[in-house]
Amino acid sequence: MIGTRPAFVKILYSLEEAAYYMLRSIKPKGRTILLYLCVPVVWYVFSVFIPLITAMFYSLFEWKGGPQKSFIGIENYISLIQDFSFWEAFSHNIYLVFLCIIGQIGVAFVFVLMINSRLVKLKGIHRTFGFFPSTVSAVSIGFIWMMIYDYKRGILNWILEITGHADQTKVWLNEPGLVMFLVSIPLVWQFIGYYMVILLSAISSVDSEIFEVAELDGASAFQRAIYIVLPLIKNTLLVCVTLCVAGNMKAFDHIYTMTEGGPGTSSMVMAMYGYKVSFAQMNMGYGSAISVGIFVLSLIVIGGMQKFLNALMKDKGVE
Amino acid sequence: MADVKMTKVKSIKTPGEKVKTGLLTGFLNLILILFSASCIFPLVWMFYSSLKVKRVFNADIIGLPKEPTLSNYIRIMTNPDYHIGGSMINSVRTTVFSLFFIVLFGFIVGYILARIKFKGNRILYVLFLMGMLIPVHSLLVPIYVVFNTTGLGNKWFTLIIPYVAFGLPIAVFLVEGFIKAIPVELEEAAAIDGSTFTRTLFSIIFPVARPILVTIAIIQTFSCWNEFSFALVLIKDSALQTVPLAMTMFKGQFASDYPKIMSAMLTTMAPIVVLYFVFSKQIIKGMVAGAVKG
Repeated sequence: MIGTRPAFVKILYSLEEAAYYMLRSIKPKGRTILLYLCVPVVWYVFSVFIPLITAMFYSLFEWKGGPQKSFIGIENYISLIQDFSFWEAFSHNIYLVFLCIIGQIGVAFVFVLMINSRLVKLKGIHRTFGFFPSTVSAVSIGFIWMMIYDYKRGILNWILEITGHADQTKVWLNEPGLVMFLVSIPLVWQFIGYYMVILLSAISSVDSEIFEVAELDGASAFQRAIYIVLPLIKNTLLVCVTLCVAGNMKAFDHIYTMTEGGPGTSSMVMAMYGYKVSFAQMNMGYGSAISVGIFVLSLIVIGGMQKFLNALMKDKGVE
Repeated sequence: MADVKMTKVKSIKTPGEKVKTGLLTGFLNLILILFSASCIFPLVWMFYSSLKVKRVFNADIIGLPKEPTLSNYIRIMTNPDYHIGGSMINSVRTTVFSLFFIVLFGFIVGYILARIKFKGNRILYVLFLMGMLIPVHSLLVPIYVVFNTTGLGNKWFTLIIPYVAFGLPIAVFLVEGFIKAIPVELEEAAAIDGSTFTRTLFSIIFPVARPILVTIAIIQTFSCWNEFSFALVLIKDSALQTVPLAMTMFKGQFASDYPKIMSAMLTTMAPIVVLYFVFSKQIIKGMVAGAVKG
């Protein structure tokens, strides 16, 4: 026992030494950390928070983009609250959100159930092809669908003609009542595969025995979907809905490419309206107020949606 | 993402049931094949239509070209006024620089937030968290104002600034989560061997964090290449346009010449399409990981 003591002390000593070095390296000098952090943080704050503060500041001015600005307090916000076009645009965003939750996540969920059944072949192909549109730029997607809707050379009218419905051909994107639905289709279609792949990966991490046991116990496909698959991928579904809501509150590129919000304001969304007021009418002061409005409304909708979903999930008891 | 495998449950089926299962199989496969076809059809249609001249296309929009010609491609590539090649160079440059800074900064900030305790660590964390919540499109107008007053607008590097800033939050979070999951012993061992902070960071942690950095790079490649709205407000000079912006201008000029627009679109989409189909497995995996963890 006595013979081992020096070695024991030695180990203790070297441990202490190690701890000293460890602390020095894992807790490096504050200056080093500061040096590493300053460029990214300054870069980030400059492009994200400075504009945000700038928007709040200029929203208090009457400013047409020139050198002249006049302080008008909250007048821009008062006009914003009474601005029918802005709220119409907001309602279009909400319309998009609901259409996409049903059309993207709902359809993706059904596709996932179908792919997951033993009957379907070519799973890899469906995944690769289905995901493809979500990697293409919104501008290209917008063009492709413009060509599909085109009056003289569009595929939609071509289909109507060869199926003998030539009387129903239209200049599709000029129909005020239809246009919002028509511009939503590309958006919905583009991301079905994206959500499908996300949900598929969630399901594949679930032990497949669960499904087998359920099937042996005689649960129908519908029952399995609602009572087994749905609760198991609940969290992933929540992520998908949040992504979907956030994505549609900022819808812009597709609509800019296809209609620029027209005809009139029939397909106007918030970001498009803010862009038009600021850059087409050069009303930068009011445009800044709209930007702040978009910011606040998006946060309210996204936050509200999450609260609502969490409450809904608790009620159902599928924690 | 292994396919869910189920052991086949053998059961005795009546002929009627067999027909029913057969019909169901056909139906399910048909729907999914139609969906997959719809995703790839535009690409195929644009490809063979771009080989037609305008007159032929207008006469028959869906048929295969009888006399395929590359004249559209030759015309768009040889006319420098169309900025097809130029816009692609701009997009490649912007994307590469943005990726470099996003990965580098994301790695450094993510690592520091995960490992180093200092005053303001959590404040910084929340600051980056907010970046993911801020709707990008509410910043279009103010970012234009800020960039114009500071003289940063309409330069070759202009777009790199917002792309890096808006790519950073997700990068920081992915790195932070990843670093927290790896044991601290690695750095302790390095420290005992006398490695400095910088050396540990770049020669020991960096290789370990490679998978997550690749994921970040994949996500950001697509979002930088496809980004449109910042380019629209910040770039005025047609020589500085990125691909999506150049395409909207191009379309405005040749609204009636579809084959020409298609050839331009396919040319500018080519790098991303090739990238996707060559690395589709890794790309899909990376994008899903990014979406779910983010």
